[in-house]
This record gives sequence, C-alpha cells and structure tokens, in this order.
Amino acid sequence: MSRQESLSSATKEDKAEPPVTPLSHYLWVLAALLALLALSAGTALIKLGTWNTVINLLIAVMKVLLVISVFMHETEARKLTRLTSALGFIWLAMLIGLALFDFLTRSLVPAPWG
Amino acid sequence: MNAEVLQAPAVEEQFDDPTQQREAATLGMWLFLATEILFFGVLFASYTVCRVLHSEGFAVASRRTDMLLGSIETAVLLVSSSLIALGVRAVRMNERRLASWLFAGTSALGISFLVMHGFEYHKEYEEHLVPGLDFAQSGANAPAIELFFCLYYFITGFHSLHVFIGVVVIGVLAIRIARGAFGPRHHTTLELAALYWHLVDIVWIFVYPAIYLIGRAG
Repeated sequence: MSRQESLSSATKEDKAEPPVTPLSHYLWVLAALLALLALSAGTALIKLGTWNTVINLLIAVMKVLLVISVFMHETEARKLTRLTSALGFIWLAMLIGLALFDFLTRSLVPAPWG
Repeated sequence: MNAEVLQAPAVEEQFDDPTQQREAATLGMWLFLATEILFFGVLFASYTVCRVLHSEGFAVASRRTDMLLGSIETAVLLVSSSLIALGVRAVRMNERRLASWLFAGTSALGISFLVMHGFEYHKEYEEHLVPGLDFAQSGANAPAIELFFCLYYFITGFHSLHVFIGVVVIGVLAIRIARGAFGPRHHTTLELAALYWHLVDIVWIFVYPAIYLIGRAG
C-alpha cells in the first residue's frame, strides 16, 4: 500500500468511527430506567388482574429497548448487526408464541381423542 | 502514555481496515448474544408454559420471594449497566483513569448483586423452599410452588453465573485500562464486554417481573 493510500484509508476510518454519545443521554436513560423500575414495582402492588402482567411486560420491553438503543448503540449500528441482534429476540418470540398457541387453546379446541 | 494505544489496533490480514474489523467483532458478539438469548429463552418458555398451567400456585410462590431485595438488585444492575456504558465513553474520550474506575465500579456492583442473591438463597433455604435439597411445603399449591422454585433456581442460578463471569472479565479489564492497554482508537474489547454486560442486565429486566412481581396485589 502506498503512503497516499494509507493516508486516505486513515481518514476514512476516522469518519467511520461512530460519534461519542453525549453524557446527558446516558444519564437520562438511567433516570428513565430507574423510574420504570419504580413504576413496575408500584403497579405490581395495585390489584389489576391480568393487566398487572401486561403492564409489567410492557415496562420490561421499554427498559430493554432503552438499553439496546442507547447503551448498546444499536441505533448507530450497521443494518446487518441490527438484524442479527433482532433475530435472537424474534426466535424467542416464536418459541414462546407457538408454545402458548398450544397451551392456551387446549381448552378451546380439545383433542378429538380426548 | 503508551504510544501505540493512540493508534488504531493492528488490522488482522482478513480485514481491509480497522472499521471493518471492529464491525465484524461487534457482529460476532451479537451472534453469541443471540445464542445467549435462546439459552435463557428456553427457561423463560418453560416458565411461561408452567405459569399458564399453574397460575395460582405461581402467584403464591412469587409472594415467597423477597420483593425488596429483588428491586434493589434490579436497580444495582441498571446502574452498573450505565457505569460500563460511561466507562467505554470515557476510554473513547481518553479519560483512562475515570474509565478504569467506572469499570471497577461495574464489577463491584456485580459483586454486590451476587452477595444479595446469596442472602436470598440462604433465606429460602431456611424457609424450606429449595427443591431437591430441603423442600417442605404443604397444601394444594405445593407442587406448583416446587415447580416455580425449580425454574427460579435454574434461571437465577444461570444468570448469577453470567454475572460472575462478567465481574471477573470487567474487573480484569479495569486493571488493563489503568495500565494503558486501551485508548480512543483501541476500545473494541471494552465495547464487546459492555455488550455482554448489557445482555446480562436485559435478562434480569425480564426475570424481575417474572419472579418477584406476580401475585403481589392479591
């Protein structure tokens, strides 16, 4: 590689280095995470039936999205990396979803031999 | 400061430039994390099915866990995740001393998490809630309670193992940062360790409502 080429590749990689996230972003996310934690603990003590589970799951998903997008820099990542990181969660959703399709419909659709 | 950390790391022959090398490492780490998601995923899937089948027993069992300690442990992991994210940021801004302390703080919070969990396990042992070791509950819900605590020990046990591995890795990295092994252009290893730690945090974010928060209002 000539000197000229190595210089131009050095500038290229400088540009490719993702920008440093401002300190305030991290602090806001931490505050939001702790507020969501307090919210989930608080709502768990109120009698809401099935909604307790729904609210707790939604809060957990919100916390995870904050961690993934800001702490794990997924919003700045390449598409391939983002796709890969989503895949693990998608497979898991399929695993749990299909298992529930079975168990939740067993009383609605009894086995013909049952 | 060690002069070489100010430059980008050496590029292995299969890569064109440091950027490609860093992106490949991040992609590889995410593939590993996907396997981790599925590893914990089967435990969560069994939990979900068992909870659908024994919803009342699981609510009774969940009330036997320590909600206050569980909430404090959650807060500790959330703060530790922020610390390691700030640590990687500090390295990139060439604040090596601060970064080293932030990594050490993350590791210390991980240790405090494990200690608190140890207290929980001890308390449950004294209340005869450990299946296979000393489980002595009676009543119609006893089998469901035993099932809940089986899943509880598998999920939190494997999670604690991951926390322990993280504590060791991040502790070693804190020392290496202090010795000048990383710099603004040389931080991929730290990013990958942080990704691992954030995933450990994510797993716990789902463990917390699943284990500690059901049946609290009843």
